[in-house]
Amino acid sequence: MNQTRLFRLLIAKSIIETFFVGTLAVVFFYTAFPPQFHGWGEATPDSIAGWAVNHSAPWDRVELQLFVDGKFVASGTANLSRPDVVAAGWSKDEWHGYAFSAPPLSVGDHEARVYAIHESGGGIRQTLQLVGNPIRFSFHANGKLSELTSANDSSNPKSN
Amino acid sequence: MTSQERNAEKSEGGAIDKSLAFWEIISVITSCLIGEWVVFSVGRGSSVAFGVLVFIVFAFMFTSHRLRGESARDLGLRLDNFVAAARLLILPMLLASAVLILIGYSKGSLGFFRWRGGQSILGIPALGIFWGLLQQYALQAFINRRAQLIWGRGALSILFVAVMFAVLHLPNPGLTLATFGGGLLWAAVYQRAPNLLALALSHGIMTWILVSTIPAPLLGGLRVGFKYFG
Repeated sequence: MNQTRLFRLLIAKSIIETFFVGTLAVVFFYTAFPPQFHGWGEATPDSIAGWAVNHSAPWDRVELQLFVDGKFVASGTANLSRPDVVAAGWSKDEWHGYAFSAPPLSVGDHEARVYAIHESGGGIRQTLQLVGNPIRFSFHANGKLSELTSANDSSNPKSN
Repeated sequence: MTSQERNAEKSEGGAIDKSLAFWEIISVITSCLIGEWVVFSVGRGSSVAFGVLVFIVFAFMFTSHRLRGESARDLGLRLDNFVAAARLLILPMLLASAVLILIGYSKGSLGFFRWRGGQSILGIPALGIFWGLLQQYALQAFINRRAQLIWGRGALSILFVAVMFAVLHLPNPGLTLATFGGGLLWAAVYQRAPNLLALALSHGIMTWILVSTIPAPLLGGLRVGFKYFG
């Protein structure tokens, strides 16, 4: 028996399988979490609002979910008019805005995160991808919101 | 070179050979686990990914046989000892079948034609035997033979083969238990009469009896690995 050749065979198989598993992992991640969603959000006095675009399907409206302090609050679609987003070159048409009404919260500081819903695997799998940055805001006794920190995000069309 | 040096070199070569055999087993088991846990999860059971993995593992096993100078006859693809192997198998199979039928009768889950509703009854044994041959080839002609290189014939290598066979059926508890029992029987018979065709036939028949007697929920749809969860 040629031990050296068998040893090389084992090494070769291990390397091939490492690449195989690595490829599967990359393909899976790219399919489940494609880097094609862009957006931005802010806390306005009455809502969490912003815009979201799917660059692989720029004419489609992006389905969204709002989470506040890690808890699901609402779902919706980014289909409101946002001409500033087109003007800044982020989308092909203006219908990519969203606005979630201020949810009932305790008075104080909170954090909102808006996620785009992405379907893959022929619809058997849905993943959430954060759109823009987390939005830190204060909820006041009068039911109004105020943003705690201004988003320092280059994808904010207002800043362009 | 003195005879003492020759003996030392021979002993060292034997240790390396045992080590290689062990890593060969680990390599094949790893490939199977990748198929069950990775391809069926992140690969969504992609037939392309599964095909690539099957090609890799079979190419590895065939090349290993060639490098070790093992013929098809050595592996158990032969007919001359078919009857001897069948004789060793028949009594344990009858006993196991009787126990399974009793369980099925007491649970009211007997149904010898229920396997994959709508499929031709002739297709069931054919599928079972073909699938059994593939499994028995990997389990006995490769893993059992390599285990014998490490521990020799006997209880330890038989137990090792059965444990490996059971591990490959995790996390399905019913199937893990059943394959551990089956693994003990088939590994022991292979060591006494290495005949893959008899083992494949036994595998197909016992699978059919198992799914025809044991309540379906206990067998988890014969799913293993990540697929077991849905």
